[in-house]
Amino acid sequence: MRTWRDVARYHLVVPWLFLVMPWLVLAASFAVNWQIFARHAVTAARSGDTGGLTAFYIFFLVIGINSIGRSLPFGLALGVSRRSYYTGTALLGVALALAGGLGLTALQAIERATDGWGVGMRFFRVAYILNGPWYLTWLTSFVVLALLFTYGMWYGIVFWRWGVYGVIGFIGLQAAALIVALLSVAWANAWPDLGRYFGLTAAGLTGVLAGLVLLLLAGGLATIRRATV
Amino acid sequence: MTGLDEGTPLFAQIAERLAEEIADGGLAEGERVPSMNELAAFYRINPATAAKGINLLADDGLLDKRRGIGMFVADGARRRLLAQRRERFAGRYIEPLLTEAARLGIGPDDLVALVAEAARAVPLDASGGVTV
Amino acid sequence: MTAAISVTGLSCQYRDHLALDDVSFDVQAGSITGLLGRNGAGKTTLLRILAGQEFPSAGRVLVHGAPPAENEDVLRRLVFVREDQAYPDFKVRHALRVASWFYPNWSPARADALLADFELPAGRAIKKLSRGMRSALGIVIALAAQAEITLFDEPYAGLDAVARQVFYDRLLADYAERPRTILLSTHLIDEAAGLLEGVIVIDRGRVVVKASADDLRGLATTVSGPVLSVDDFTAGRDIWDRRQVASQASAVVVGPLDEAAWARAKSLRLDLAPLTLQQLVVHAAAHPASAAPAPTVPVNPWERTSA
Repeated sequence: MRTWRDVARYHLVVPWLFLVMPWLVLAASFAVNWQIFARHAVTAARSGDTGGLTAFYIFFLVIGINSIGRSLPFGLALGVSRRSYYTGTALLGVALALAGGLGLTALQAIERATDGWGVGMRFFRVAYILNGPWYLTWLTSFVVLALLFTYGMWYGIVFWRWGVYGVIGFIGLQAAALIVALLSVAWANAWPDLGRYFGLTAAGLTGVLAGLVLLLLAGGLATIRRATV
Repeated sequence: MTGLDEGTPLFAQIAERLAEEIADGGLAEGERVPSMNELAAFYRINPATAAKGINLLADDGLLDKRRGIGMFVADGARRRLLAQRRERFAGRYIEPLLTEAARLGIGPDDLVALVAEAARAVPLDASGGVTV
Repeated sequence: MTAAISVTGLSCQYRDHLALDDVSFDVQAGSITGLLGRNGAGKTTLLRILAGQEFPSAGRVLVHGAPPAENEDVLRRLVFVREDQAYPDFKVRHALRVASWFYPNWSPARADALLADFELPAGRAIKKLSRGMRSALGIVIALAAQAEITLFDEPYAGLDAVARQVFYDRLLADYAERPRTILLSTHLIDEAAGLLEGVIVIDRGRVVVKASADDLRGLATTVSGPVLSVDDFTAGRDIWDRRQVASQASAVVVGPLDEAAWARAKSLRLDLAPLTLQQLVVHAAAHPASAAPAPTVPVNPWERTSA
């Protein structure tokens, strides 16, 4: 367990990327959006959600990729097993997702309290998925951030195990699977069924995504075992 | 490797140089011989190699080991080394000299005269001589 | 004598070529062994397998008695310096700080001293370092780690002769103070020759020489002089090479030459030059079959001078 802690410390030795950047990106996106709302005084009724949170979430994908893609070689050189490295990194990702979700939840509460930051902006509130009670917001944010981090790690693992072509193949496989799924739905004319399926509540969707995270985590551990640097 | 010949076993060369130092009086009897680490650092070689060279002389009784302190030149070491050198003197120096002289057509009498002349011209250092 | 590293029948097959082919050897604990061979011979692959970074396709590897792959007990006692180590977006001091957490014997004092020796600025970003400085960083980490098993893969890429000498000197000093098992892969053989106790030569994935450095020294000698004298001297002896120009010839004679042989060569006015380790390695790589040296057992060898 000390090794896991040391692996986490390893990622945070230069705190910039993992701890600071996501919030900087968030702040930048927030500033841009607030500007627009303040300038044009858009009414709350007409406005939709800004979608400005996306940048923050995507950045978790970036640090996930980095945690393996960039940092694995030196990590292994330091005498850490792949198992320990992966576990320590995943735990860090989970911790960051937890903290990130908490931060977003707090900011969402402030947004509600200030009626959209004084300009009626819906930045931290997202319809359907991030609009409910605080604990649900925290849970959903946490799961989605963890999912993106873990998914990012997978790109790193695939790269070290199968190289650049492996990554291309990885992307291709997912694209192909997506196309096949969409085609089969269209072919079976099952769009209505799909709609019903996606009649899940936010909580339900969170549950499904959580399951996906666990799957990716387990799969990542199994796959990294034969990665070479 | 500083000043060592690449082609022959290094430990042998180390032993040889120490032996020469003893024979020439540079290392007196009872004096401490450089440690394996000191020799290794000096010659830039593996300490194990230096140790092997030292042990070679020790096995031959030319060095005494004193636990915890180091290796010291044994009593009578210089005498023994010089005696050995004397034994090999003829084979190492005289025979090649005669062979070369013969090749150049210089007979033994002429050779003796040459030696006498050279001895007068080249002053021999008194410290090089030893009474045994 | 315990073997710190024991390799048996090791092979490593990549998609398009066989990097290692049935490699077997032992490395004595606490010794400095050279892993010699041409570029692309398989030295790096071998070292990566020993460090648990690569997986063999066949054979067995034991480091301190256990397979190193995914084995933290072994890996923590081992440090591996690669020529092409990839680092995260770190400065030099970050890399050293992180290394201090993972190596139980890490010496901060040594790290600082070595940084000064190599004039490596602690605050510089690693990606901005020259090739030589990157090599120096690897050396600093390896020596400050003071690991029981230290593996070097051509650690001096880009280092000039002065810096290389600093490396050899520091390595020797550290080794003298704190003996450890060192495996050093190099193609600058003559420079490192004095440090080596054991020698393993790899060519095209196979071990072609496995001997002590001392056994290899004096294994072969170049004899040169007048053609007739050379032929006279070399009659009945094993020869590797023979060249001739006008009335001068030179041949490489195999096998240790005793006092009598040396004297005879002298009398024939022949020049004798023992083959250096580097020359032997070059020959062994070209002619694998001929390289097995018979152990030389010199009698009072310190009495024989080459003068």
